[in-house]
Amino acid sequence: MIFVSLILIVLAVFGAPLFTIIATSAMVGFQSNDTELMTIALELLSISQMPVLTAIPLFTFAGYLLSESNAPGRLVRLTSAMFGWMPGGLALVCLAACAFFTAFTGASGVTIIALGAILYPALKQDGYGDRFNLGLVTSSGSLGLLFAPSLPIILYGVVAKVSIDDLFRAGILPGLVMLFMLGGYSIWVNRENRKPLSSFSWREVRDALREAIWELPLPFVVLGGIYSGFFAVSEAAAITALYVFIAEVLIYREITLRDLPRIVRESMVLVGAILMILGVSLASTYYMIDAEVPQKLLAFVAELVSSPTSFLVLLLLFLLVLGAILDIFSAIVLVVPLILPIADGFGVDQVHLGIVFLAAMQLGYLTPPVGLNLFIASYRFNKPIMHVYSATFPFLIILMLSVILITFLPELSLLFVSGD
Amino acid sequence: MRKLLDRLERFGRLAENSALVILLGTMIGVSVFQIINRQLLDGAFSLTWADELVKIIVLWLAMVGSVAACRDNKHIRIDLISHVLSGPVVAWSKVVVDLFAAAVCAMIGWQAWRLVREERSWGDTVFSDVPLWLLHAIVPLAFVLISYQFLVRVLRLIIRIFGPDEAERAS
Repeated sequence: MIFVSLILIVLAVFGAPLFTIIATSAMVGFQSNDTELMTIALELLSISQMPVLTAIPLFTFAGYLLSESNAPGRLVRLTSAMFGWMPGGLALVCLAACAFFTAFTGASGVTIIALGAILYPALKQDGYGDRFNLGLVTSSGSLGLLFAPSLPIILYGVVAKVSIDDLFRAGILPGLVMLFMLGGYSIWVNRENRKPLSSFSWREVRDALREAIWELPLPFVVLGGIYSGFFAVSEAAAITALYVFIAEVLIYREITLRDLPRIVRESMVLVGAILMILGVSLASTYYMIDAEVPQKLLAFVAELVSSPTSFLVLLLLFLLVLGAILDIFSAIVLVVPLILPIADGFGVDQVHLGIVFLAAMQLGYLTPPVGLNLFIASYRFNKPIMHVYSATFPFLIILMLSVILITFLPELSLLFVSGD
Repeated sequence: MRKLLDRLERFGRLAENSALVILLGTMIGVSVFQIINRQLLDGAFSLTWADELVKIIVLWLAMVGSVAACRDNKHIRIDLISHVLSGPVVAWSKVVVDLFAAAVCAMIGWQAWRLVREERSWGDTVFSDVPLWLLHAIVPLAFVLISYQFLVRVLRLIIRIFGPDEAERAS
């Protein structure tokens, strides 16, 4: 068994698709404890028994449509009209716009490509230092992960069987903590860089609003609908997909019908990759629960630590390492089923655990060796990867502090969650 | 050989795109209609079939999307080595991991086929008379196609390793 695991790890490191690695470990496990191998197919089929999953293709499609249209440009214009007059204005604009866009597009790296291309040159023109800009844009790319309707939150809810509405409410304050800490840092770094503040203009706000008039209802309908409980998550996803399609393709006409098959394909390729990992992970989880792996892990961890606080410290260290190796989607489907029972054993709330998990995994986007944002930024802005690492480092430290706060102040996550 | 592969490639891409557009379009349409029916028409239509349909479409989107992801080489990989090393070691390691992937997918495809065959004998149906096994048959089919995709990739990698690169491009 150890021999097989070693081979699988080597294959994974050499670039075998992750789903094949997980599937093999599941099948080897089934073989070893006399489970019928067909179980793997049975678990794959259970993808069609989770109604919430419909939200994933719908939100992903809407996100890709938005990022292919000129919506990012309108969003930046509107945010600068509203916040650009503040000190460090454009940096704050960058944080706010990216967080908003990421929440709607599901943290797949499209934020850096769609918004970074506009914000990076604009920051430079406004006199911010190049290192700061690179770090800011790179780390903003995954901000907003904790806000509704982000895909990782939905996926966590599906895997952990926790109310997604509760998770959405729980993410608000921790997400804001991240935003404010990065915002404060940006203002502080640029305190010497005093520019004449651009003045606030009602006319510009009005023009920006008018330009984005067809997209404005979207956040209100979706966020309002979700937070008030009027829409279920999958319903909000369907409305979003249809609405974005009507706005970008039929009204603004920035995406032609001819482009549509390509955009559908690109978004569904991501969906296929995520759901495939989910499917095979369900199989490997089935085996691990059958083999009582979570209980053994709990017994092992209980020897190391005794209090919930020390458990959280251990968990955080583990998640930081995990996030550096695995992407957020794979980490959720593979690891959450294993740590949920352990966290339960230490009395950690499942909603809070989800927020901690996602917040810590967000750091994974920025940590070497495989941080997705680092590679996208390096590729997009044509900078050596080491340069992107070092430019992002101060932001990583700030985010890490915010994650520590979020972890050890469960009230941040649980304040808006109705206890039941 | 190459020509045949390229023609199959174009056909496969077109088939995937058409399937994805139809599936996603249907999903959006049916889901929105469900909401309208529930919120505005007070449930005037009985739409139990719609729930079933949308759930089946998720499975089909996942499977067709996976085949497409394989063609576009977009499946999630950890892949530390190609960031560190380069040259023939990387080229050959790609051959090995893709052969492994092809074998695993063939195995899953076979297991899924066994399951679907068994489901056929159970005789479950959805939408009153559509056999469920027929809708689930997308799973073995997708894995066979994915396995085939990985084999084609291996073939192309080997052609690239042995083929005189520049000369080929020139011709």
